[in-house]
Amino acid sequence: MSPARFFLGGVGALVLAYGGWLLWSRREPADVLDAAVWAGGAVLLHDVVLSVALLVLGLVVAGLVPRVARGPVVAGAVVLGALTLVAVPVLGGFGRETDPTNETLLDRDYTAGWLVLAGIVVAVVLVWSLLRARRDHHQPHSGDTPT
Amino acid sequence: MKAPASLPDQHSFSSRLRSAAISARVGTALAVCFGLAFLTGLVSHYAQNPTQPVPFPTSPAWGYRFTQGLHVISGTAAVPLLLVKLWTVYPLLLARPSMRLKRLVVELAERLSILVLVGSALFLLVTGLQNISHWYPWAFSFRSTHYAMAWIAIGSLVLHVAVKLPLVRHALSHDVEDTELDRPGATEPGPLSRRGLLRATWLATGAVVLATAGSTVPFLRRVSVLAVRSGEGPQGVPINKTAEDAGVTDAARDPGWRLEVVNDTRSVSLSREELLALPQHSEELPIACVEGWSASGTWSGVRLRDLLDLVEAPSDAEVVLTSLQESGPFRVTLLQSGFVEDDRTLVALGLSGEELVLDHGFPARLIAPNRPGVLQTKWLARIEVRA
Repeated sequence: MSPARFFLGGVGALVLAYGGWLLWSRREPADVLDAAVWAGGAVLLHDVVLSVALLVLGLVVAGLVPRVARGPVVAGAVVLGALTLVAVPVLGGFGRETDPTNETLLDRDYTAGWLVLAGIVVAVVLVWSLLRARRDHHQPHSGDTPT
Repeated sequence: MKAPASLPDQHSFSSRLRSAAISARVGTALAVCFGLAFLTGLVSHYAQNPTQPVPFPTSPAWGYRFTQGLHVISGTAAVPLLLVKLWTVYPLLLARPSMRLKRLVVELAERLSILVLVGSALFLLVTGLQNISHWYPWAFSFRSTHYAMAWIAIGSLVLHVAVKLPLVRHALSHDVEDTELDRPGATEPGPLSRRGLLRATWLATGAVVLATAGSTVPFLRRVSVLAVRSGEGPQGVPINKTAEDAGVTDAARDPGWRLEVVNDTRSVSLSREELLALPQHSEELPIACVEGWSASGTWSGVRLRDLLDLVEAPSDAEVVLTSLQESGPFRVTLLQSGFVEDDRTLVALGLSGEELVLDHGFPARLIAPNRPGVLQTKWLARIEVRA
């Protein structure tokens, strides 16, 4: 390991330790435990639930979706999946109970907004798949796998 | 050769999309997002710090609005980037540990640092997205915990970059389809090419930004269908806390309300009519929240400096502002001398050419340039020069 890398790693470790000290010294142990549960819970949710769900989704796509449409479907799933995850707090509207009389917070129709976004993604995936199918139909030897 | 049935390990994943060539590229974008969010977060914490060795600047007036909008935008952009990044390296999570002790110790140390990195990064994104929608299903204090976790995340990120630097350099200096860094067996073409997956990732990142940034970027308001705020509100400006939720409705409507301006033994007590009789000024200033939403308003009222002249406050005075609120972390705030001296700092009585509405701080509120929204004290009761 070069000295520069070693130094960089050392700086990182020190900053990390400072963060750990900040967390521990400013709060009650119960709060630190609660924060650790949220951080650890997020890791478990990702590593076990989300990752396995994506593996299953991959198998479903491979089994049900025609080969020519798989690329567009996967790209569409990446986009719509990201949009859906960042929308969880607003779709659930959980924050409305914190400030019940604030009408300027969470003041859109998020379900309608999400449906519009989903509609756009599905439409693009369909059109893209059809275009690819037509291209393959006209050039039967071009192969299915994108390069 | 068929392996006997066993637990999955890194060789169970055959897709050539789960490659360091993609991890390095998405990881670089992710590091930029986390770096931006970290720096802009530090700006906000410093701005809210009562003691400032270097005074927080009052110009540009839109500085806090810009940095905090960028904070939430870069955090939101990090969501698809982090998920794709983790997807590409997922097989390494299941890699079999080494059987040689020295090697095993190094592996465990690296795994522990990555656990801390992933845990703190996910924590920041999840709690940040919840905070901007005022959803607090936890016991810890959001502000101090998000702050401490940010140091943990950025420290473990720097450590991670130091460990992976040769790999990242190699990946970024070779074509994305280059297979030299791939795990053996990861050769199966995926439904997308590597370039295709990268493009889908950038597209998803752009999509989440466009769908949310309207909270702070006015021309995106119509596009941002998932933004926590439409940007609308009474007198054209959104609200973070209403008079009713703050419990100040009666005190703010009381005709006997007076604004106390105090400098040691000198003091004046002014009704709203008396404030309106003083020279009035109008300023266009943004109200900008750490939660990444902001809006510009045209505020009218009395210059704070003019009020302090009534009690002969010295020119480098710091003042303590007290709200009618009976509780809350921002009931009493300190205004540093740079803001006190700035001519744009007003005790606002009106907004958008109308009388200030109750939820914007009637009968009088503070509005200062480049200042965190939570410190723009509403429902003012008392302004006192700090001894």
